[in-house]
Amino acid sequence: MVDAFAYVPAIVALPFVSFLVALAFGKYLPKGGAFGGIAATAGSFLLSLWVLATVAAGGQHVETLYTWVSTDGIAGGIGPQEIELTFGVLIDPLSALMLVIVTLIAMLVHVFSLGYMNDEGEPDLPRYYAGLGLFTASMLGFVVADNLLMAFMFFELVGLCSYLLIGFHFREPGPPSAAKKAFLVTRFGDYFFLVGVVAVFATFGTASFAGSESFPVLAEHALAGEFDAWTPFGLEAGTWFTAVGLLVLGGAIGKSAQFPLHTWLPDAMEGPTPVSALIHAATMVAAGVYLVARMYGFYVLTPTTMAIIAFVGGFTALFAATMGLVKDELKQVLAYSTISQYGYMMLALGAGGYVAAVFHLMTHAFFKALLFLGAGAVIIAMHHEENMWEMGGLKEKLPVTYWTFLAGSLALAGIFPFAGFWSKDEILYEALVHGLNEPLLLGAWAMGLLAVPVTAFYTFRMVFLTFHGEPRTDVARDPHPVRWNVKGPLTVLGVLAVVAGTVNMVPVQKVLGIEGIDLLHLWLDGHYGGFSELTSHHYAELGPYSSGYIAGGEVPTVLIGAGVSLALALGGLGLAWKLYNVAEPAEHTAALGGVKTVLYNNYYQDELQVRLAGVTAGVASAADTFDQGVIDGVVNGVSSVSLVSGDRIRRVQTGVVTHYAALLTLGVTGLILVLGVLGGWFL
Amino acid sequence: MSVQQPSTVEPLAALPAQTGAAPLPEWTALGPVLALVAAGLLLLLWDTVFPNRRTNTELSVIAAVGSLAALALSGWYLAAGTGRPATGGAITLFAEAITIDGLALFFTAIVASVTTLVVVASRDYLTDHETPGEFYSLVVLAAAGMALLASASSLATIFVALEMVSLPSYALVAYLKENRGSVEAGLKYFLVGAVSSAIFVFGISLVYAATGSLLLSDVAAAFGDLGDLAGVAGVGVVMMIAGFAFKTASVPVHFWAPEVYEGAPAPVSAFLSSASKAAGFAVAFRVFTEAFHLGGEVTAVGIDWALVFAVLAVVTMTLGNFAAAVQTEVKRMLAYSSIGHAGYALIGLAAISAGGSHNGAVMGASMAHLFVYGFMNTGAFLFIAMVERWGVGRTFEDYAGLGTVAPMASVAMTVFMFSLAGLPPFGGFFSKYFLFAGAVFNGFWWLAAVGALNSVLSLYYYSRVVKAIWIEDPTDALAAVDSRPTALYGAVIVAAVATVVVLPGFGPVIETAEAAATALFG
Repeated sequence: MVDAFAYVPAIVALPFVSFLVALAFGKYLPKGGAFGGIAATAGSFLLSLWVLATVAAGGQHVETLYTWVSTDGIAGGIGPQEIELTFGVLIDPLSALMLVIVTLIAMLVHVFSLGYMNDEGEPDLPRYYAGLGLFTASMLGFVVADNLLMAFMFFELVGLCSYLLIGFHFREPGPPSAAKKAFLVTRFGDYFFLVGVVAVFATFGTASFAGSESFPVLAEHALAGEFDAWTPFGLEAGTWFTAVGLLVLGGAIGKSAQFPLHTWLPDAMEGPTPVSALIHAATMVAAGVYLVARMYGFYVLTPTTMAIIAFVGGFTALFAATMGLVKDELKQVLAYSTISQYGYMMLALGAGGYVAAVFHLMTHAFFKALLFLGAGAVIIAMHHEENMWEMGGLKEKLPVTYWTFLAGSLALAGIFPFAGFWSKDEILYEALVHGLNEPLLLGAWAMGLLAVPVTAFYTFRMVFLTFHGEPRTDVARDPHPVRWNVKGPLTVLGVLAVVAGTVNMVPVQKVLGIEGIDLLHLWLDGHYGGFSELTSHHYAELGPYSSGYIAGGEVPTVLIGAGVSLALALGGLGLAWKLYNVAEPAEHTAALGGVKTVLYNNYYQDELQVRLAGVTAGVASAADTFDQGVIDGVVNGVSSVSLVSGDRIRRVQTGVVTHYAALLTLGVTGLILVLGVLGGWFL
Repeated sequence: MSVQQPSTVEPLAALPAQTGAAPLPEWTALGPVLALVAAGLLLLLWDTVFPNRRTNTELSVIAAVGSLAALALSGWYLAAGTGRPATGGAITLFAEAITIDGLALFFTAIVASVTTLVVVASRDYLTDHETPGEFYSLVVLAAAGMALLASASSLATIFVALEMVSLPSYALVAYLKENRGSVEAGLKYFLVGAVSSAIFVFGISLVYAATGSLLLSDVAAAFGDLGDLAGVAGVGVVMMIAGFAFKTASVPVHFWAPEVYEGAPAPVSAFLSSASKAAGFAVAFRVFTEAFHLGGEVTAVGIDWALVFAVLAVVTMTLGNFAAAVQTEVKRMLAYSSIGHAGYALIGLAAISAGGSHNGAVMGASMAHLFVYGFMNTGAFLFIAMVERWGVGRTFEDYAGLGTVAPMASVAMTVFMFSLAGLPPFGGFFSKYFLFAGAVFNGFWWLAAVGALNSVLSLYYYSRVVKAIWIEDPTDALAAVDSRPTALYGAVIVAAVATVVVLPGFGPVIETAEAAATALFG
């Protein structure tokens, strides 16, 4: 039998080839190279499914494909002396699952683009499809990376592609600016990541994720005193690992748009809508969370980092949700919901809920891709109008879009039994049971819980304003129809948004005692295939948390948790129903008073960052002054001193040979005298 | 630093040495010198038989064959490990007056490479000269003197070899008899050289008076117990330093260098500033390590010679670089830069500490720097020879736009300039890197810092040449560029290629040099 793992590089290579083909020959291909991209991502998807099946049959795979730097010791260096920089692939349950998610979403986005870009007559299609291909390839390369440095390189490629695609309409003023913002803000986080990568190499001499010589395992040994890791300034190993973990986390916070580096994401809506779907569901934003999950064995060793991840996640979940309350544009609402949902994933990771985080990553990928593609369909129908107050009543005209969008919204709001309910509930449950002994974690849980009704409210405000009530404009009365290439992807994702939750029905198992329906738990715990040091129960053993229960046991805790969050979600939904599911909805934002302005302005985050940037501009100009005045001054000083003294030397060099003979003799005599006195020769 | 011998050349290694089945006779160790002497005599003979030949191609070929033979022999011996600890140690001839070891062979290889480049390039430089015969024989015989100087291990042979280098050099500098600058430079060189030689031989006599021997090994033994004569010996050593400083163009006997390099025919400047300087360093390395206990405990003389050389190195490199920065003529700039590089090479004698673990590494790095310098500096002077032959001017302004009319040679010159400044990825970077790193490891970080600062300064004036060649607009003077002197071009390109090829080939060079230097300290 041919080994599926031999084809893993092909999964990454296929979209890359489609990138090259679209770039070189896109002009001559039908549909601007779209079919090549669809074929490539479909091929990758099938291969990923095969890989998934092979892992399910008990396989796992780690292989170094290429060593590009190998050194047997750098003289005078610090830390471990033998370092190899390699490219390799790591296939375990996590990466196999992620491969399927990414390739599926990418394929659907390619198909959808036929309707969104080709049918709408957008220019520069080869550039668009080349960008999509490279974006997909970069993300897949990141997913299969077997070491931190390779992950970093593909992480950066992902960032580059997002820049290219967000700025796709570069002739308009908005997109280039948004693209630059996305690039710079995420790059700010990536600086920390890069330093973290170097720190990992310096500390452990390796950056591989898997194996007995991987850095999470070495860190585990170092904390147990069995491995002598290098630390700077004689720091405790634990303290230093916390610092390294936080450095790498910087990259994840930037890419996954967590507070305070989330500001790029709403602006990134300037990109074409299918690209937004790809960014939010499967590639760029998912990369940050995936990175933390990938090296989770390292994070669980340091309780401080875990607490910070949880708290940042919980805070972001609530904070972004409140900003989504008052947005007028369809995609803006979705953008803030993305930030908020990734906040949940971070909360899960920080709370020790590794499976819950991956579960939510998966369900969110499906329903957020669905919502963005649905929004794209609405935008096509509305002739590229995005303001929800210009819509209304689209339910009748766009039934497929409406029903799938509704499924996605129910999932996002966390309504039973849609996918989002199961994953969000598990996150909150994990945070609660671990947080009963950890006040900080309990605070994060509380914020996550508070975000539930807010999420449900803004989600259904969006649904009602867009699809319900009376059409508020002429365009909304007579929307542009959409074709199969839009409806197809929506239907696939709509089904997934409804049923994806069934892969991990932990609450049902716990309450009813039916064994074996927590498939994802078993999957990530290595019951089918995988590496023992990358399993969820291994992480749980290493983790800093213990479980506590309320109301006297596990089952009541499950029931109460699920009940409360469902009630809150329904409450938010109901409020939105009451306010906006009417024929002529009003804004109702005046009731918020001064808060409204604050929310409209996103808590003045952008202004704050601009002001901070202004401060850094001050620092930069001070540095410039220092550079111009002091450094250049010294350099110029040295050269002018040297020019002046060079001139002196030239004057000594008279050209008269008797002077030379005299100087020579005097010089030697002087040397003899000085040395003679020092050496005591004349005594 | 261990001496590593590739096992595959073991049979060869046995040939000239004492071990093995059929060793060559010991005198064959002098093969490189003999090849040069033979070529010099053959040149004289050829010139006598065909006195009226107007072409100098044959002469150039004979000289090149002789120097290539010397290069091949020394390369072979180096690869085979002749005169190295692994094959029975240094070979001594003529009652220890001559020693063939790694150091001698390494410097012979440098001298032979430079000589080859110079004699090939001279075919075009001297193409319409009336009597080219003497030129080639003088160059090749001077080269023989340099090779002998690198092998000399008695103060008497050292002095004789030194004069064997100096006397042809005086004549070579003044070789363009019609050219006032050339004649003046020759006279100055002779006068300063005569003074220096006098001081040097006086120093030898004082050392002999204190120790009673001219052989380096005996001098070393006597230095252990000098009694009342420590002062006499000390003064003698200082006077000998003056002699070495003259050959290497270091402070305080550097005054002649700018004038001579500027006035001499450019190939001769290349020859003197590369090969002659290297030979001077070779003998200084040998005398101070073998006779005067450099790298050992301070003797009865009471002076740590490394410290003296450290002061001289700092002054020399700083003076050379500062003066080079204000020159308006390219050739004179190179002359001062040559003084600056003598300062770098002096680090090999300066960053030596008693029993230091990196003594061999530092001196080896200095040797490797002289090796790379042999190519890049010779190439730069030969480029100037080409420009002189075209009759383009001498100043930086005159070089403006040369890149447009002679792109290949200009690329080569760019390589030389950046390599001299010590920019990666050229050879000059690696040799300087190892030199400074060795100094740091031996505890002389301040010396390395001064060297690095000087390198930064040097980038200023080297890049002026590159800027003139490539960036500035061509002037009318370039109309004079009408010919493509093949041999000169070839020599410049070969030197450039060697400067670049050092990149992958630097491992063997530095290993050989370090092994040779470590043997001296052993």
